[in-house]
Amino acid sequence: MFCRDHAVQLHRDRHRFDAADVTLAAIGQGTLDQAAHFRRVQGVDIPLFVDPDRRSYEAAGAKVAMLSELVGPRVIARAVQRTLASRIRQGSIVVHQGRILDHPAQLGGVLVIAPDGSVRYAHMSEDASDNAPNGEVLAAARAIRPHADAGA
Amino acid sequence: MIAWYVSPMLEAAPSPQQTRPPTQATTLENIVLRDYRGIPTRLGDLWRDRPAALVFLRHYG
Repeated sequence: MFCRDHAVQLHRDRHRFDAADVTLAAIGQGTLDQAAHFRRVQGVDIPLFVDPDRRSYEAAGAKVAMLSELVGPRVIARAVQRTLASRIRQGSIVVHQGRILDHPAQLGGVLVIAPDGSVRYAHMSEDASDNAPNGEVLAAARAIRPHADAGA
Repeated sequence: MIAWYVSPMLEAAPSPQQTRPPTQATTLENIVLRDYRGIPTRLGDLWRDRPAALVFLRHYG
């Protein structure tokens, strides 16, 4: 459910990334069909890429979780919290756990990369519930081009 | 259905791993991935002209 929640939050903030002149893209494991289905069902209108070999995950320094990092107390508590929040939140998208596809213990994260190739921000997940706050990601990206979103 | 519950146990890391984000995106820039429509994109092209936020989701489930 954390992936869906994260993707939906990114979708909701996509115009803020556009306004800040930042390219927003998401990478997931799986097939083209799975990505297209995910995009359609979740209503996520951001560029989605597929990496069935997980080469980009390895290059980004993402880790494979231990079982306690997938279903430990902290993860379960956050899952309950986010499920309740998503059902209370106004809107049509309700987030819940879907079928886990491909490598079930692969964790993700976020990198903000400047045009010179330097990585200016990195938040790689420590457990399944650990997602980077969009506000933090945007702030890091805006710091690269501080005037791009001056009017927003 | 059983495999869905059991596979995380079988494929989870046996010991703690550390995240290792790079300081330079050189290992990422030449990786070519297809988008949901099947169109290939070199990752480095995403940040060639402006900053990019690259989000790694766990899966598309």
